[in-house]
Amino acid sequence: MSAPPRRAVGRRVLPAPPPLTEEQRRVAEAPLSAKVFLEGPAGAGKTTAGVGRLLHLLAQGVPPHSVLVLLPQRTLAAPYTDALHRLRHSASVPVLTLGGLAQRTVELFWPLLAEAAGFAHPERPPVFLTLETAQYVMARLVGPLREEGLFAAITVDPNRLYSQILDNLNKAAVVGFPHTEIAARLQAALPGDAAQLHAFSDVQRCAARFREHCLAHNLLDFSLQVEVFRRYAWPLPICRDYFSSTYRHLIYDNVEEDTPAAHDLAREWLPDFQSALLIYDRDGGYREFLGADPAGGRALADACASVVTLDGSLVAPPAAESLAQHLCRAIREYALPPAVKVAAEERDLLVHEYHRYYPQMLDWVAQQTAQLVHDEGTPPREIVVLAPFLSDALRFSLVERLERLDVPVRSHRPSRALRDEPATRCLLTLAALAHPRWGVRVAKEDFVQALTLAIADMDLVRARLLAEVVFRSQDGATALTSFDLIRPEMHERITHVLGGRYEGLRTWLADAAERDALPLDLFLARLFGEVLSQPGYGFHRNFDAAAVAAALVESAQKFRWVVEASDPAAAHRDALGREYLRLVEEGVIAAQYISRWQSATAAGDDAVLLAPAHTFLMANRPVSYQFWLDVGSRGWFERLMQPLTHPYVLSRQWPEGRLWTDAEEHAYGQERLCRLAVGLLRRCRRRVYLGLSLLNEQGYELRGPLLMALHALLQRAAAG
Amino acid sequence: MSTDLPPAITSRHRLRPGQLEVLAYAGGRLGVSAVPGSGKTFTLALLAAKIVLSGWLQPDQEVLVVTLVNSAVDNFAQRIAGILKREGLLPTFGYRVRTLHGLAHDIVRERPALVGLADDFQIVDERVAQEILDDLALAWLQGHPDALDDYLDYGLDPKRLDWVRRDKLPDLVREIAASAVRYAKDLELTPEALRQRLEAADQPLPLARLVAEVYADYQAALAYRGAVDFDDLIRLALAALERDPALLERLQRRWPYVLEDEAQDSSRLQEQILRKLVGPAGNWVRVGDPNQAIYETFTTASPQFLLRFLEEEGVQRRELPTSGRSAQPIIGLANGLISWVRSAHPRPEARDALALPYIQAVEPDDPQPNPPAERATVRLVLNKLSPEMELKRVADSLERWLPEHPDQTVAVLAPRNDRGAQVVDELRRRKLAVVDSLLRSTASTRQAAGALANVLVHLAEPQSARRLAEVYRVWRRAEREDEEAWDAVEAMAKRLRGLPQVEAFLWPRPYHDWLAEQADLDEAAREDLAQFRDLVQRWHGATLLPVDQLVLTLAQDLFTAPSDLALAYKLAGLLRQAADAHPDWRLPQLADELRQIARNERRFLGFSEDDLGFDPDRYKGKVVVGTVHKAKGLEWDRVYLMSVNAYDFPAGEPSDQYISERWFLRGRLNLEAEALAQIRMAGGLAAFYSEGEATLAARLDYVRERLRLLYVGITRARRDLIITWNSGRNGQVGPALALVALAEMFPDSGSAAGGA
Repeated sequence: MSAPPRRAVGRRVLPAPPPLTEEQRRVAEAPLSAKVFLEGPAGAGKTTAGVGRLLHLLAQGVPPHSVLVLLPQRTLAAPYTDALHRLRHSASVPVLTLGGLAQRTVELFWPLLAEAAGFAHPERPPVFLTLETAQYVMARLVGPLREEGLFAAITVDPNRLYSQILDNLNKAAVVGFPHTEIAARLQAALPGDAAQLHAFSDVQRCAARFREHCLAHNLLDFSLQVEVFRRYAWPLPICRDYFSSTYRHLIYDNVEEDTPAAHDLAREWLPDFQSALLIYDRDGGYREFLGADPAGGRALADACASVVTLDGSLVAPPAAESLAQHLCRAIREYALPPAVKVAAEERDLLVHEYHRYYPQMLDWVAQQTAQLVHDEGTPPREIVVLAPFLSDALRFSLVERLERLDVPVRSHRPSRALRDEPATRCLLTLAALAHPRWGVRVAKEDFVQALTLAIADMDLVRARLLAEVVFRSQDGATALTSFDLIRPEMHERITHVLGGRYEGLRTWLADAAERDALPLDLFLARLFGEVLSQPGYGFHRNFDAAAVAAALVESAQKFRWVVEASDPAAAHRDALGREYLRLVEEGVIAAQYISRWQSATAAGDDAVLLAPAHTFLMANRPVSYQFWLDVGSRGWFERLMQPLTHPYVLSRQWPEGRLWTDAEEHAYGQERLCRLAVGLLRRCRRRVYLGLSLLNEQGYELRGPLLMALHALLQRAAAG
Repeated sequence: MSTDLPPAITSRHRLRPGQLEVLAYAGGRLGVSAVPGSGKTFTLALLAAKIVLSGWLQPDQEVLVVTLVNSAVDNFAQRIAGILKREGLLPTFGYRVRTLHGLAHDIVRERPALVGLADDFQIVDERVAQEILDDLALAWLQGHPDALDDYLDYGLDPKRLDWVRRDKLPDLVREIAASAVRYAKDLELTPEALRQRLEAADQPLPLARLVAEVYADYQAALAYRGAVDFDDLIRLALAALERDPALLERLQRRWPYVLEDEAQDSSRLQEQILRKLVGPAGNWVRVGDPNQAIYETFTTASPQFLLRFLEEEGVQRRELPTSGRSAQPIIGLANGLISWVRSAHPRPEARDALALPYIQAVEPDDPQPNPPAERATVRLVLNKLSPEMELKRVADSLERWLPEHPDQTVAVLAPRNDRGAQVVDELRRRKLAVVDSLLRSTASTRQAAGALANVLVHLAEPQSARRLAEVYRVWRRAEREDEEAWDAVEAMAKRLRGLPQVEAFLWPRPYHDWLAEQADLDEAAREDLAQFRDLVQRWHGATLLPVDQLVLTLAQDLFTAPSDLALAYKLAGLLRQAADAHPDWRLPQLADELRQIARNERRFLGFSEDDLGFDPDRYKGKVVVGTVHKAKGLEWDRVYLMSVNAYDFPAGEPSDQYISERWFLRGRLNLEAEALAQIRMAGGLAAFYSEGEATLAARLDYVRERLRLLYVGITRARRDLIITWNSGRNGQVGPALALVALAEMFPDSGSAAGGA
């Protein structure tokens, strides 16, 4: 059968950086001793100036490894890494986040700090937990407690529960309060009945238990990495010496998106640098839910010798600025007074059409996009299609429509569960078949699917026919019989070519079962390398599937490392493999493809990008055309609301004793929406297309605050 | 504030005096009691439109309209939207129509964390809830094998006892738990609170203990799924309003006018939620017909809420007593029922089951005058008929009547689904045109779900030629209307059914391509099959997607009607939920689930099953079969009301038997009612519990509700009404007392043969 629908992606290009303006040049070429705080709105050219600064330093002969590019999040690195890529310097300039820095440092100074930090086995190396392995450890500790009745008043699925406890620990670390205060802070500020408030004590209990477990087994989740770094590594004189001699120049971009812990570090460290450029976006703060503290970032200006402001926009037309102001006013006041005039240039920035049903709106979006690409010659990478959330349904419907119109499209969702990838399911089904001792029951349907993916040209009908004759399942144990043993008539129907490929796969799996059991990650790597990537098999030249296989191998490997470190008894290979399969199935292991995302948000691939609005903003990349979908959704306005954690109450700016009520929720929501709308408009060169449907995909009428505000704006525009 | 009606309303509608009085509303609290066919929903929709058009609202404000069922939501919204559109306004702004569940969902969605929910919380539908309860009921019985022995009939012989324990008790426990859990939620009793109160109780309350245990496990099961059920939604909405006054304040500002339709079915929590949203000095219009309250059993819903509201100080009272729906003889019969119940019902406690006013005919010059009395028929068939004979009589009558009245509408209404299904079978056997969507989900839901299910079944068994042929028929189903074209489709389907090797057609190899070998096919047929093959190949590729995406892909190819597409989105979501809840399910099980949806009634939250709800006028010349419950709000030229016997409409006489009383329980106890009484006691709502009282009270409640059901049934008819009864399976049941009384009051309407 044909390969699964694959995204059509155009050629990969790295656009050359624009020439610097006079103001940008002054910042970039400031003396090698300058400490500059650069601020301005989005689109003013700040990051371009930052990249210019980096190139200038290198051109001045500064050794690449002595320049530290510090960022709040890896996705923001693209402009810098692309520039370095062009200079073939990519490996030599450290581009780091606080987390990356902390991990490197803790690893380096481990023997000096492990004991002081309370680790039970300073003599053994540290094991760093990824988000998913931390989730796994938390699941093991908290799962049984929930059975005992913890969190009775809370309705949340287990994975979300674990991630909220981790989130609280991380907040404590990056905001800088002891993790023992989590419950007290939440209880003091949030309304709820007694049972609900008690759930915060349950959070506290679980967080403490997790921390103890980590200390006992040398495990470091993100929160512990940051805390150990700040409290035990950074104060070591030898550590400070190392830092000040290694890094001489600092470029710290998107300060507004970073956490108090990062800001504190920057403030203490700044005097040690020879030069520094801190870049602050006035409209930022999109990562507040991850602990970003824009106010704390702004305060770093005091620690710099000079403050430079870049105003105006190099991206958006002037009318976009006034449009953004009108839109914010409409968001805050629900209406625009008749005195407000919407100019023709402002009106022309918005293209819209009302549709009754959701599919009609999607058709319109696809047609408009195709027109831009095919009729107007717009490079696809200059178009983004944004929605508050990118559901499976939305992604699929739109990708399908655009591909039909021959528009290259790629989508990105930062958190996509491994189990939703067909290639993952194929690999794990084959792993289960090769390891009968695991006792994992394989469904015939899964085997059929695995066949269609694993064997090139295997169609669904023949896969099913094959499965009917070779797949034997009894008492939960599954066996595959040889193609050579089946009736000749079936040989004909399935074809000898496909049968031969099946036989190759089967014998490989059977041999693997005979051999000494390999750890799952090594097994998967060999399955991929020795069979699936070979000609005649499904992953041959299928780069998407190869990427999934790589991610799966890495995830299984990290999982093994953690279990081996924390619970050697449980690390028996069969048990490990079985456990890993279960965790993927349950969604505990959800590997986030950060590495793929980095390249996907960069301007490289020439395809229309389909992404959540927030994710697009965090890629900080202007485009010519934006489509806003689901404009009526409340998702544009609402934050991720979780019952067991709270980004604002746990922030450094939250005053003690203040209650978080609906008034706060609403006011913060409006401000967030304004910031989002302004941020998007400032990253748009030409036009915004509004996808308006009166009913959403479920048939609900839509009336979120963004829609109401746009409606008011459009009415005013129509009035002239 | 101007109370004049906008021209968009006055220019199009000629309004009756009662309607004008309601539409003169300018604020405050207003209670309206209406009679069937008085246009109350219509009037309320006009009032909502008037408020939107009158400029009384700020841009961020809406009129909130609360009604009972989803189909009414659509009806309302369409009416208001129509008026706003004519005025050049965006048709979805300025108002919000919701069922209570929809409203509760909106409120909880505002701040899920406030009530302990993650923001991706799921809502399990009734079937999933029932599955969970089934498991828990079994588990509870296993843990307490003898706990209910004391309630069993002492006279049961040991053999039957075993059978009852094994076969009957699990269902009984589940049913007790289901209604008692719902009731406890209505009373805002958490499992923990119930448990604590039971510990403190000075009376043994074994049924309440049962409920408390199952309830706790049930909530834990939901919490673990990150889900709530429909009843939680309502309970949590009230909790949210109570926990954060700022939220309440914001919502009060958003909804300065609350219009409530079908207020006679308001429940305790609905009343509380709306009272909170309205506030002490707010604007609240409640419209209802206390005589049509038919959803009260085992809930706290009661027409008393509306009746008490009408008596409250400061509430303006209006009536909509005139109705142009029915001919005078039918109005007379309905009013006769009111009068008999209020003055002569043998149980004085049941005499308040129906309330005044009587129905009045409209003025003769009304744009919708009552059908002429002289051409109306009322037949009360009093002879004793077996169930089979009753069926036969009604079918005979329809067989005679239908051909002569192709332009009229007719319905057969039964008190229960299973009786309706028997009617459908009989009419189908006689090849009469039948519409049964009032018995189950609407036809469009079933067709769309059925089409998708057929394709899923093929994908699960791609090697089956029979399944493939079925998919072909689904793909070309639009041709059904054209007999000739459909014959061609059937012929092609037959050819596909005969495929020896499916893969030789769908995935041909160079040396073996079935389609190329079909020498007798003309070019068009060949092209048709090639197109079909392309499509199916694409679907095969889509089997790798998660099931919701798969369904959406299929839907894009199968449906064009927006409402079908919207439905597919909903079905996709339901299947995803099912897949998450049952990780071992694959395509065959998921296809089964879809078939279930295609067959059965499933409650969809906030989903428009059909754009306009059910419209009887679309089925002229066909027989609509439904339950009386489902027929509420609808009308037909001719109505057959069946099974009006003492079993389905008891009068509280000593000889009456009750559907909810089990033969294997001692003293014919109604354990659901007893469980609820024990919960009331535990919850502090009753001073003591005395066994058996609740059973008696439940009988009386049932008697009252069934009188109203009869009233609803009668008032569905415009011109002709035929009422029949049957003597039940054992031939022991008599006619409903009300029927006998009506026959005495209207001697001319009796008929020995039932041959109307």
